Amino acid sequence: MKSRTAKSRTADLFAADALPAPHARPHEAIPRAVPAQPSSRPRSNQLWYAVVFPEFNETQPQISLQRLCLHAQQFTSLVSIEMPNALLLEIKGSVKLFGSLGRLHADIDAVWRRLALKAHGAAAPSTLAALWLARAGRQVLLEDPALLAGHLAALPLACTSWDADRLRTLNAMGVRSVGELLRLPRAGVARRFEPATVLDLDIALARQAAPRRAFVPRERFRARRDLEMEIENVAYLETAVAPLIERCARFLRERQSGIQNLELRLRHRVGPATRVRLGLASSTGEQRRLTDVVAQKLSRLTLAAPVREVELISGSLQPFIETPLDAFSRVGGAGGRDTAPQLVERLRARLGEQTVYGVCSIAEHRPEAAWRRVHELRETTDRPAADHEMPRPVWLLGEPVQLCGPLLLEQGPERIESGWWDGKGIARDYYIAHQVQDSRQTRGARLWVFQERQSKCWYVHGVFA
Amino acid sequence: MSRETISLADILADARVWKLKDASAAPPRPVWSTGSSSLDARLPGGGWPTASLVEVLIDETGLGEVQLFLPALVASQRRTDGETHWLVWIAPPHEPFAPALSQQGIDLGRLLVVRPASAMEALWAAEQALSSGVCAAVLLWLKGTDDRWLRRLKLAAETGGALGVLFRPERHRFESSPATLRLVMTQGEHAPHLELIKVQGGLPGPVA
Repeated sequence: MKSRTAKSRTADLFAADALPAPHARPHEAIPRAVPAQPSSRPRSNQLWYAVVFPEFNETQPQISLQRLCLHAQQFTSLVSIEMPNALLLEIKGSVKLFGSLGRLHADIDAVWRRLALKAHGAAAPSTLAALWLARAGRQVLLEDPALLAGHLAALPLACTSWDADRLRTLNAMGVRSVGELLRLPRAGVARRFEPATVLDLDIALARQAAPRRAFVPRERFRARRDLEMEIENVAYLETAVAPLIERCARFLRERQSGIQNLELRLRHRVGPATRVRLGLASSTGEQRRLTDVVAQKLSRLTLAAPVREVELISGSLQPFIETPLDAFSRVGGAGGRDTAPQLVERLRARLGEQTVYGVCSIAEHRPEAAWRRVHELRETTDRPAADHEMPRPVWLLGEPVQLCGPLLLEQGPERIESGWWDGKGIARDYYIAHQVQDSRQTRGARLWVFQERQSKCWYVHGVFA
Repeated sequence: MSRETISLADILADARVWKLKDASAAPPRPVWSTGSSSLDARLPGGGWPTASLVEVLIDETGLGEVQLFLPALVASQRRTDGETHWLVWIAPPHEPFAPALSQQGIDLGRLLVVRPASAMEALWAAEQALSSGVCAAVLLWLKGTDDRWLRRLKLAAETGGALGVLFRPERHRFESSPATLRLVMTQGEHAPHLELIKVQGGLPGPVA
């Protein structure tokens, strides 16, 4: 049954191939204009196969295009995702491997049938031509670029999936098919519509290259280790995990990648596994740093039950630039043992993720909104904050505190009136003041105070420490 | 009875003579200016010493105690040698206000704030940061601690080459402390009153 469909389809396709092209190369007649017309000789060094899943969004929301990509990668290494519902495969090299284009098409089609997915496939020497043919539901297998124009001409314009505006205008002009559009003067089309329209036509006719980015599946490290004896003491866990960390570091080194997240799962005889999540301050693949973080985290762990099995799962891999080879730059430092990310990791592992942070200033007039905590460690140099009239205090109180006791105003006022647009508007007059002790004529703390302009109440907002 | 005349140079050359180090000589390590000439003049070397522990005894915040160190922190971050440009502030009494710090010239990209849950954790974090070798200065706010931990901090500061600053309440004034420098800050009539109570290689006393 299966082979019959394949065969009948193949026969059908050959018939299509043999069809006389109704509008052979209408582009030739178009005068050269903006954008410059590329050489009219089509490039034929590529062969693309497009698969469109017409019911993709409705019927199979649980299967992602990325999953389907993995299926398609058995046929070629270059598979790209075309949103919202198509895949593009570069199959020039695969045709020979699978015997013939028809055979390859049948094999690819069988994959989707097995997954009970409705799919239209089409092959053409250019990316867009294959996509358009597949979208139009023409199961055409074209290898000869010379036949492209003829096949594309018959396609309705809707299969280009251009924006609705463009299609509506074209429709109003009486242009219904690609062929009719190709017959229009090139310069006029470029002027009337976006130049992208002409570019798309060039790409479809294989006169312009349109490289695609290959889909690379996400890789993770995942390894488990059965323990010969159940471990009850946390102290022994570290040695038990060490081989896994070593493997993980090797895995990362081979891929020139680093990770920023790790998860350690400790399985018990009964009950759910204990999950230990580890975060690293910056991407790394260094065994010493991984060991360091794991050891710190484990030392603070209390085991609910003996551990029978340990499993190490990495977060997603990131290309890793920093290698221990640039150690030369670190030799000079006194002590010279650590790097900043290592220090942050060690502190975080023991004190908790949220307890170690940086601060950055934000260009904003309201003092409470002019800064925020940052947890991602970056060594970027902060751009200098806007120049303020008055110096700003080193400490900012979390909430302004109602003022009590006598004060001596020193400098001010600086009016800050902002934020009416988001409902947290303020209208305040800020002063620098210092506390005065009545009994002894001494100056107390230097404060940043403000008077609310509406209520006339005084508040302390900062301390000049 | 004849007396041999012995020159001073001969005595000094004698291996049995143990020379006290000249304490007033400039320390070999670099110092960071405090930004105040009267204070600079009182400190050996003319500024805050690196790779050492400085203790500031102060009861309330707001007397400009952080301001004393900000010029030094800025200078230490701008230093071109090595990679020790990080500043770590451990358990500050309030949130450090980022615009104020960048206004003063601090590179916020290399400032870490640590909020430990307990004094023990704060001391541990300070020791780690000081000895790490990536920090230019570590500022630590504490209510109290014992002598043994201060010794550990001082050692860590010396290994890591960082300036450690410890802010503590004034009641610890009469406890012994291994800090290189000890200052007391109190309210004054026109400006806060600053007194050096321990200066290694200098003279203690109030700072004008």
